[in-house]
Amino acid sequence: MSERYEIPEDLLYTKDHEWVRVEKKYAVVGITDYAQKKLREIVYIEMPNVNTRVRQREVLGTVESVKATSDIYSPVSGRIVDVNSKLLDHPELLNDSPYKDAWIARIELADPSELDKLMDADEYARYIEGLEEEMEEGE
Amino acid sequence: MSSDKRLEIYDLGLVEYGTALTLQRELVEKRIGGLVPDMLLLLEHPHVYTLGRKGVMENVINRELPCYRVERGGDATYHGPGQLVAYPIVNLNLLGVGVREFVNILEEACIETLAAYGLEGCRIEGKPGVWVGGRKIASIGLAIRHWVTFHGIAININTDLTYFYGIRPCGMEPETMTSLQQLTGRMVEMGDVKKLFGGRLAGMLGLKPVWLDGGRLEYLKVYKSSTTL
Repeated sequence: MSERYEIPEDLLYTKDHEWVRVEKKYAVVGITDYAQKKLREIVYIEMPNVNTRVRQREVLGTVESVKATSDIYSPVSGRIVDVNSKLLDHPELLNDSPYKDAWIARIELADPSELDKLMDADEYARYIEGLEEEMEEGE
Repeated sequence: MSSDKRLEIYDLGLVEYGTALTLQRELVEKRIGGLVPDMLLLLEHPHVYTLGRKGVMENVINRELPCYRVERGGDATYHGPGQLVAYPIVNLNLLGVGVREFVNILEEACIETLAAYGLEGCRIEGKPGVWVGGRKIASIGLAIRHWVTFHGIAININTDLTYFYGIRPCGMEPETMTSLQQLTGRMVEMGDVKKLFGGRLAGMLGLKPVWLDGGRLEYLKVYKSSTTL
């Protein structure tokens, strides 16, 4: 079931379908392959400013797909030290390369214990499988 | 969860835009928290123009009506009496439905509703909404928080189309817009359209429609502030 979605082993995940790559005291964040496939063609992204602080589950940015704007949430609390400004001109990277070229922000972790609340790849795969089963029952 | 999957449908009548916006934002938070089920609000607004998040202010020419800039996708549009506005507050994550797929479902529910009046609605690639014979009858603009939708679709039933001349609807020429009344040559009963659209949408989402006809605005506010599921 979840083979349809790429879920790299070395990342952590949220229920809202964001991913986190921990690099020492930083968290690099983005949206998952599942998220981009559900959103489809992303035409625009609004990103936070460098040096602003976000809290876990607060809005980090907004993406617009056709006629729909969706908020993206920060998986962790901390100071934003860098954003991927390439996405402003090339929002399609979010669809083409969600885990690599389309990282959204780098956040200096305020509280590393928050990472415990995130899912690992296996847990996230099972979570997605659960969501997909719901859909089949609904049909 | 799946045994109890319902869509509560509220017919709210005529509601001022700002009031409905506040209500939607409250219900979205409650839906995110799992305090209310998936819901569909059916209503009409008094005359108003609205602009989507990225909408261009120059597309609103008439500055005499109230104009709201809101979080939804899309550009400038008009709402007013005689137009059916449908605000679905549903959790796409739990339904396993994608955002683009949901836009298609809204369009499809509208197309099937129009079919009951002998009209053939269609989609045009690159121009979201519902079209009949090259003219646009329904517009879509959604916002999503934690995968819960709000805002929605506006379908012109007995709409006074002259109000579209105060804007460039989604950046297009105002004469592009049409209504069910214009296409059928007669006034159409709004209650019938609500029944058709709400029923179709629930079906397409695999949800059981629960009609709350007495669910007027004040009732909904009180009920939703006191209820937990």
